[in-house]
Amino acid sequence: MQKLVTGLVVGVVSIFAVSAGFALVQQMTRQFTLQSLGANDISVEQALLVAQGAIDACKKDNSVITVAVVDHEGGVRFIMRGDGASPEMVDNARRKAYTARTFRQATSAWMERTALDAVDEKGKPVDLNGQRFLENTIAQKGGMPILWHGDALGGVGVAGSKGGEEADEVCAKAGVDAIADQLF
Amino acid sequence: MSHMSLMLKAAAAAAVLMIAPQAAQAQSSSSITSEQAMAALRAVQAYAKNEGSDPSLAVIDRDGNTVALLRGNNAAPHNLGLAQRKAFTANQFKMKSIEWRDKTKPGTPQAAERDTPNAIPLGGGVPIMVGNEVIGAVGVSGTKGGQEGDTAGAQAGADAAAALVRRLQAQN
Repeated sequence: MQKLVTGLVVGVVSIFAVSAGFALVQQMTRQFTLQSLGANDISVEQALLVAQGAIDACKKDNSVITVAVVDHEGGVRFIMRGDGASPEMVDNARRKAYTARTFRQATSAWMERTALDAVDEKGKPVDLNGQRFLENTIAQKGGMPILWHGDALGGVGVAGSKGGEEADEVCAKAGVDAIADQLF
Repeated sequence: MSHMSLMLKAAAAAAVLMIAPQAAQAQSSSSITSEQAMAALRAVQAYAKNEGSDPSLAVIDRDGNTVALLRGNNAAPHNLGLAQRKAFTANQFKMKSIEWRDKTKPGTPQAAERDTPNAIPLGGGVPIMVGNEVIGAVGVSGTKGGQEGDTAGAQAGADAAAALVRRLQAQN
């Protein structure tokens, strides 16, 4: 009888110990296997350098620009409206940055690709014009992606330079080049 | 007689010409420059660095239009929009948004002011003052000190911008 009780107690305790150990191991494995996405995103510091690079480039012909830097998700990281620029310029620059980021190419290239008469390398028509109807995009030059290993960390958009959209794009490119040493 | 009236007309025209630029001057201070906005941004960043936070901020001009926006590296999705609304509130009601929050508590006669589109009864918006004049506002969201901390950060920014405006005025 004594033996039976002891055996029963030992049995219950060992079942409890084994299941507790199992739960602990399970919990630990879960902790080590749970892997959330680590997005490479443009930082505030980088965004300020990009914007300054674009502003400085556009100063050469005394242009006062509005510049926007969007992040990996296309959201605003930094915007600065140029002195005397109309309020609409803010959204104009932001949409250029967004378009470049989301399609991972200069807005000028995207405009060619989404034109009604666009053709691919073999001369076959590509009908991507519908992309221009996506929210937040804009078919204007002056947006450049900030690329890193094939993905876009963000995008920069420039509006309001004296030389028009062509010059906007040159300044936007200068902005990206300002952090080129970080984008190897 | 005709000489006299001609002289009078000339004098009147001269007077109009002299007054016109004076009258136009009132409009010239209407917007915060990018340099002033940048000074505000740097001051908010300095405040944040001191406490180790990473806030988002907005600088708007007296018309309520965006001059500068910055979203912190680890900002929550609502932070930037909230900073904009705080700045809007401070500019619109010409007081800190934390004061406006207290002034418009439910049950007070001013409570209905809280229905103003875009306004928000949360601390962190501070008007940029030059003398008694509000020339824009700074809104901050995401410091460590809650609404009081956001207000202190925004105040640092507004002070920095106002200092530059005053320096510019002293030069002219």
